Amino acid sequence: MKNKPTYFLFLIGLLVCLLLFAVNLASGSVLIPIQEVIGRFIGGEFSKGSWETIVIGYRVPKAFTAILAGIGLSLSGLQMQTFFRNPLAGPYVLGVSSGAGLGVALLIMAGSAFGWSMYSGGFGIWAVVFSATLGSILVLLLMSLTAWKVKDSMTLLIVGLMFGSAVSALISVLSYFSGADQLKMFTIWSMGSLGSTQPDQLIAFLVAVLLGLVPLLVNLKSFNAMLLGEAYAESMGINVHRLRWAMIVSTGILAGSVTAFCGPIAFIGIAVPHMARLVFKTGDHRILFPASALIGAAVLLACDTISQLPGSAQTLPINAVTSLVGAPMVIWLILRRNFSKEF
Amino acid sequence: MSIQNSILQATDLSLGYKKGSKSNVIADHISFSLEKGKLTCLLGPNGVGKSTLIKTIMGQIPALKNQVYLDKKPTHSFSVKDLSKKIAVVLTEKINSANLTVKQVVALGRIPHTGWLGNLSMEDQQKIDTAIHSTHINYIEDRPMSELSDGQLQKVMIARALAQDGEILILDEPTAHLDLINRFEIMHLLRDIAKKEKKAVLVVTHDLDIAIDTADEFWLMQCGLPLVCGSPEDLILQSKIDLLLPNDRLHFDKSDGKVRDSAECQYPHMDGPEEMAKWVRLALRKNKISPEINSITIKTEGNQIGFYLRISTDTLKFDTIASLIDHLTTLGNNWKTREP
Repeated sequence: MKNKPTYFLFLIGLLVCLLLFAVNLASGSVLIPIQEVIGRFIGGEFSKGSWETIVIGYRVPKAFTAILAGIGLSLSGLQMQTFFRNPLAGPYVLGVSSGAGLGVALLIMAGSAFGWSMYSGGFGIWAVVFSATLGSILVLLLMSLTAWKVKDSMTLLIVGLMFGSAVSALISVLSYFSGADQLKMFTIWSMGSLGSTQPDQLIAFLVAVLLGLVPLLVNLKSFNAMLLGEAYAESMGINVHRLRWAMIVSTGILAGSVTAFCGPIAFIGIAVPHMARLVFKTGDHRILFPASALIGAAVLLACDTISQLPGSAQTLPINAVTSLVGAPMVIWLILRRNFSKEF
Repeated sequence: MSIQNSILQATDLSLGYKKGSKSNVIADHISFSLEKGKLTCLLGPNGVGKSTLIKTIMGQIPALKNQVYLDKKPTHSFSVKDLSKKIAVVLTEKINSANLTVKQVVALGRIPHTGWLGNLSMEDQQKIDTAIHSTHINYIEDRPMSELSDGQLQKVMIARALAQDGEILILDEPTAHLDLINRFEIMHLLRDIAKKEKKAVLVVTHDLDIAIDTADEFWLMQCGLPLVCGSPEDLILQSKIDLLLPNDRLHFDKSDGKVRDSAECQYPHMDGPEEMAKWVRLALRKNKISPEINSITIKTEGNQIGFYLRISTDTLKFDTIASLIDHLTTLGNNWKTREP
C-alpha cells in the first residue's frame, strides 16, 4: 500500500522536523544564528563558549523532550481515535492526564505541609514525576477494571470521561483548601513545561515512550481491522478484548509519562492524528502511526519555538501555546464537511 | 441432502443469552445443515432470533443447548483466528472510513492470512484481484469509500468477505436500503458466488420475492417453532411458506408467488387480454370496489388502451385505470370486506 508520494511525504516531514529542531535550538532568550547551530552539529564549534552551554546543556534536552512528548501524545491519540471510532478521543479522554494531575496536586498540597518544595533541589522534580506516574497508574487501574467488566467500547469512553471529571473535581477541592504558594506551584505545573527534564530523566522518558510503543507495534495490523468496527474486526480474527487492553496499557504509558515529565499538554493528542490523515490521505495505520509520530514531534517543536517568543526573554506556557494552536485546528476540522466520516 | 457438501451442521440447537444463572432462550429446536455451492436464505419476522442464530454460528455467543459443528468440530473449539479463515461476514453496520479506498477495504479481508505487519504476498494480491473481479467493482477500485452509493458499498463489503476466502459467507440483510435493481444484482451475484466458487452462502433477508427467485434453500424461522428447511419451491407447494405470515389475514398466493390479503375477492366479468385484466383486478382489490353491478371490457386501439365500464345499460369509457377507479369510488360502491 506504500507508494512513492507517501515516501516523498515522509522525506519532507523528516526535513521539516530537522529544520524545526535547528530553529528550536537557535531561538530563545539568547538568539543564536541558525548556521552556527547547524555548523555545531556537522562538526564545527560555536563562536561563543556560552552558546555551547545554552544549546547542549539546556536546549537540546528540551528539544528532545518536545520530540518524545509529541510522539507519545499523538500516538496515544491515534490509537484511541481508531479504537473508539470517535474523532474526538484523545489521551485526556481516558482520564490519564487528570490522574497525573491529581498525583501532583496531592504531592504539592500535602507535601508542603512537610516542608517539601518543587524547587528544593534535584529530588523535587523526580518527586513530581513519581507522583504523576502514580496518579496515572491509579486511573489506569480503575479503567482496566472497568474494561474488564464492560464489553462495550462506547461505555468505556464515557466512563473514562467521568473519571476525568471526577478527578478534576478532586483537584479543585484540593486547590480550594490550599495556600497561595502551593496553588501557584500547581498552576505552573499544570501549564506544562518541556524545559525541566534533566538528561537522566530524559533517558527514563525515552525508555517509557519505547515501552509504550511495544503494545502498539504488536497490534499494528489489528488497528487497520478496527477501521471497519469491532464486529468486523472480530470476524477477521482480531481479539478485540486483547486489543482493548493493549490500547489502555499503551496510551497509559505514553500519555502518563508525557504528563509526568512535562505536565499536561493539550490538543496534540486529538489534533495530530487528524493532521496525519489529512496530509497522508490514508487510513492505513502502517502509514498513519509513523506519520503521526513525525507530525507530532514537528508540531510540538514548533509550539515550543513559538512559546520562546523569539527575541524576548519571556516564555509562554507550552500548554497554552498548544491549546492556542490546537483549538482553531480542531474547530477547522469539525467545520469541514464529512469530518466525522473521514477518519 | 448430500452429506459431503455439508460444511456446517447443528441439531436441536437452543439459542439465547445467559445472564448469570438465568438463561434467556430466544429460539429452540434449531436444526440445519449448510451446504457448499448453495445459496441459503434465512427468513423470518423481526425479533425472531435470526441475528442470534448468525452470532451463534460465528461463535460470538455460545449455544444454550447442543453445538454448531463446522467441519465436524464444534465451532467454539476454533480460535477466533482459525474461525475467521473459515467464515467471512457482511454485517449491517455502516462503515465510516472515508480515507480508505475500495481496494484497501477489500485488502483488509486478507488480515487473517497475513503476518503481523499485514504485508500482502503475491497470493494475497491475487485473491484481492479475484474478489474485486467477481463482484464487478474494478471500475471503482481506486475510489474512496465516501464516494460510493449504497449498492456499490455493499458490493465492496461482499468483495472484502470474498477476499477473506472462507468456505462460508454469511450476509446479514445485504439488500436492505437498496433499490430494486441493486437487490436483484446483489442476490444474483451471491448466487453466482455460491455456484462458481463453491462457497456456502447464507443470507438473512426480508426480500421474499427475490429470495424465491435466487435461493437454493430456505430456512424459515418463526417464533416458538422449529426451523423449517427446504427448497423454496417445495416449501411453497407444501404451504410451509405461510409460516412467515403472522395471521390469517394474509396468505401466500401459490399461483404468482405473492403475499395477498386473504379477504374474499370477487371480480366483475372482464373481457380483454389477461395481462391487462390482471392489473385492473389489482386496482379493484386495492380499492375494495364491489363487483356486483359492473362488468369491464378492455380494448386496445393502436397505442391507446380503453376501459369500458358497463353498469346496467350504460357504458362509460375510461383512458386510464386511475380514472376508472376514481369513478367507481365516487359511486360509493365499496365492496363488502370480510371482518378479520
